[in-house]
Amino acid sequence: MASKSSAAKREILSASYYEPFISDASKSQKPDLIRGLLPLESIPGMISILMGKPAPQTFPVTSISVNVRSPFDPTKETQLTIKDEALVEALQYTATKGISSLLNWVDRLQQIYHNRYSGDEGWGISVGTGSQDLLYKAFNALLNPGDPIFIEAPISTDAEGVRTADLRSMLESWPESRPRPRAIYTVPYGCNPSGTTASLERRKELLSLARQYHFLILEDDPYYYLYYGEQERPPSYFKLEAEDGHPVGQVLRFDSLSKILSAGLRIGFVSGPSRIVDAIALHTSSANLQTSSTAQAIAFAMLSHFGYEGFAKHTEYVSQYYRQKRDVFEAAMTKHLAGLVEWSTPVSGMFIWFKLKLRPTATSPEGDSAALIRERAVAKGVLALPGTAFFPNGQTSAYVRAAFSLLEPKDVDEAIRRLALVIKEYNAEGEQM
Amino acid sequence: MSSAKIHASESTTSASVIRDNDVARGLPSSSSSEFPQMNENILPPSYYDRYFSDTAKRCLPNPIRKLLGVSRLPGMLSMFSGHPASETFPFRGVTLTVARPDTADRDRSSLVELDSALLEEALQYTDTGGIPTFVDWLYGLQERYHKRRHGDGEGWSLSVGCGGQDLLFKAFTCLLDEDDPILVEAPVYAGVVPIFRLLKCNTTEVATDADGIVADDLERILQNWPKDRPMPKLLYTVPYGCNPSGASATLERRLKVLKLAREYNFLIFEDDPYFYLYYGKSPRSPSYFQLEKEIPGSIGHVLRFDSFSKILSSGIRMGFVSGPTAITNAINLITSSSMLQPSGLTQAVTYTLLNHWGYEGYQQHVDYISSVYRRKRDLFVAAMQKHLTGLAEWSVPEAGLFVWFRLFLPPVPASAEGDSEDLIVRRALKEKVLALPGASFFANGRTSAYVRACFSVLAEEDFDEAMRRLAAVVKEVQFEAGYHSAGSRL
Repeated sequence: MASKSSAAKREILSASYYEPFISDASKSQKPDLIRGLLPLESIPGMISILMGKPAPQTFPVTSISVNVRSPFDPTKETQLTIKDEALVEALQYTATKGISSLLNWVDRLQQIYHNRYSGDEGWGISVGTGSQDLLYKAFNALLNPGDPIFIEAPISTDAEGVRTADLRSMLESWPESRPRPRAIYTVPYGCNPSGTTASLERRKELLSLARQYHFLILEDDPYYYLYYGEQERPPSYFKLEAEDGHPVGQVLRFDSLSKILSAGLRIGFVSGPSRIVDAIALHTSSANLQTSSTAQAIAFAMLSHFGYEGFAKHTEYVSQYYRQKRDVFEAAMTKHLAGLVEWSTPVSGMFIWFKLKLRPTATSPEGDSAALIRERAVAKGVLALPGTAFFPNGQTSAYVRAAFSLLEPKDVDEAIRRLALVIKEYNAEGEQM
Repeated sequence: MSSAKIHASESTTSASVIRDNDVARGLPSSSSSEFPQMNENILPPSYYDRYFSDTAKRCLPNPIRKLLGVSRLPGMLSMFSGHPASETFPFRGVTLTVARPDTADRDRSSLVELDSALLEEALQYTDTGGIPTFVDWLYGLQERYHKRRHGDGEGWSLSVGCGGQDLLFKAFTCLLDEDDPILVEAPVYAGVVPIFRLLKCNTTEVATDADGIVADDLERILQNWPKDRPMPKLLYTVPYGCNPSGASATLERRLKVLKLAREYNFLIFEDDPYFYLYYGKSPRSPSYFQLEKEIPGSIGHVLRFDSFSKILSSGIRMGFVSGPTAITNAINLITSSSMLQPSGLTQAVTYTLLNHWGYEGYQQHVDYISSVYRRKRDLFVAAMQKHLTGLAEWSVPEAGLFVWFRLFLPPVPASAEGDSEDLIVRRALKEKVLALPGASFFANGRTSAYVRACFSVLAEEDFDEAMRRLAAVVKEVQFEAGYHSAGSRL
């Protein structure tokens, strides 16, 4: 693992800091004897009949080739072939946390984009079967039944991200008798559903609160590489926490290749305090043993072929693709929905979150988008996701989430046109009553 | 949040426009609801309500999924699902070279390209329970090898997972609360013991011998079950080439176990990764999955776990579970919140390979690998006979990768039979031979004189030396304890 060249070593939170965060279930999991004995296989001269691995000669795939589009020239394709040792590794049981080539690639990625060095900062990396897999295991590692956790929700965020002033008030007046949440789950780039990208100021405030009140920041960042804003991109929490001299280790960061290489490939990474990453890996060792090493090998073949420059070029292309989609979508909204909705323009990701200006009903003073979509929009052939799905306790909402990633431009225009008609008709009925 | 009861035949809106296996974020397979006239022997979906854990009951379907059916209505312009744009994925094609199944010569291979429509499907979010084309091929496999047909209204479905382990973990999670009683073989596959500890269920061990599970012991345990304790929910068993014991259950034993499952209402978790690695001389016994249909009586006790780990690739993480739709639905719900779906690309690779061979080629391949393991078993057992005769006892396995042998060791306070763990971890290591102490393989923990050896990976030319070294260590221990070198015990 590399360490940075500058002399100053970053202070890190001690391993004992994390013990109160670890769930009972996680603490009860113990590494099994096989795993403890495994490293001994490497002792020179050792003859091992230990591991229950199948005989590699029985694996019938003798090479895997992937044709990839060049990030520098979309008309060019290269064929990458996985064979020999890389193939054996791809097909055999491997280490729980991931194949070392991919882990090293991610390690360097975190240096480049977040200025973090795993060598001497007390953090490690694990691959997962998508970041969802790692999130699930992280929650299992950190939460006992009934434990409180902060989550972003449309009611607690605005166009700049988490409403940290509200959060501060909440924490300041937190009753002594109630245990405080030990973590906040946040999607700081292109948040689902709000599309919000948290500002630098809000990030700093949240980080400050996390340190003051001792909660971890679970930074779920699948749209980090899908940023297309005009302004300089805000740093990740993972980067930010190492920039101001405070001890690092407050942040657990989740990356995903789902919006970059392939959603169905199921490859994600977690980077963060070793105590927690190890707890996640322990869960993996009994839940599914490891992420598919075949999928990892394919991901690594592509990523190493791209190199970091090619990766930057490719993610730039993906970002601009979504920006164009956003522009088309917003143009249609401006054209058809002026005066009927309000929204903030997303600068990352693939969601747009807009509030329908609906006439109030008895149960919904601001209007009920779910009823509108269910009863009217579907009948008119347009479907978006009602915002109620994202509010606690199923309260009604006038909000709607749309993904602009899927429809062709002419369909976008037609879809928005239909929605506008539905809203107008619905509101007009109110006037007639 | 109120808890929601899982309903076995959770059907979706507009059944006429939705396939059996629904796309992305996984709606459960609704096939069981399409056959109103089910065989009266088939346990109804409501039968399984008694088994589900609190976790399963709390696992709510993703509300977004309710709209999936609507999104596919003709003419619908849908902006609701959060799929990334497939156009941005930089894949242009995937090709495999695949060995011919009928030859050991791995250099003779064919070039097989993944179908482009399949690849596109595989790269995007897809069905929770597996890519439909692949799942259909697997249904064909179950029909061929276990004579179970999916479409016959037998009330069962199949889901793909990240190896058998993944599906086991989820299945246990769906069914077991703290203190729930289950039956497990002794010894048992070590990989499930941490799961039982995590779930804090109550494990009762059932004896096994060279013929597999001792069904009489199982019967005795059930007959003597305390009246005030809830009955066990399930039996976990590895009926072919059990890891670690190497034992394969005889037909007689299987029939009795099935009878007991029906009588005492427990599920049979048939974990069968070595089913295709059988190399015994006698005709193979049918699986529990097959038997429960063939032998008159209630159908729907068996949850069968298959794995490609010892057949195609262990690292690829490819397995599938077949069993009562109520349970596979519950497993899918857990998948949909824990990892969304198994990898589509690895499914596509697996399917392409299997489809290229066809079922005939598949049979040739499993014949080939069985012959590989039979040969290794023969060589390994010969080495054992040469060096360990009089120092240990064992049964010869007829399936799988393992030999399970009991060393003749001096007694220790915890066990009259002695303790192999100390021998392995301290002494054998110094002699540079590494095997696995048997203590890891008991759900309720015990000191054991057993050792598990795996003969699949070690170079064959090292078998003799491995056993020589191990024998030297056993002799040393015996000598120190004052045993005769012929191995008779005091």
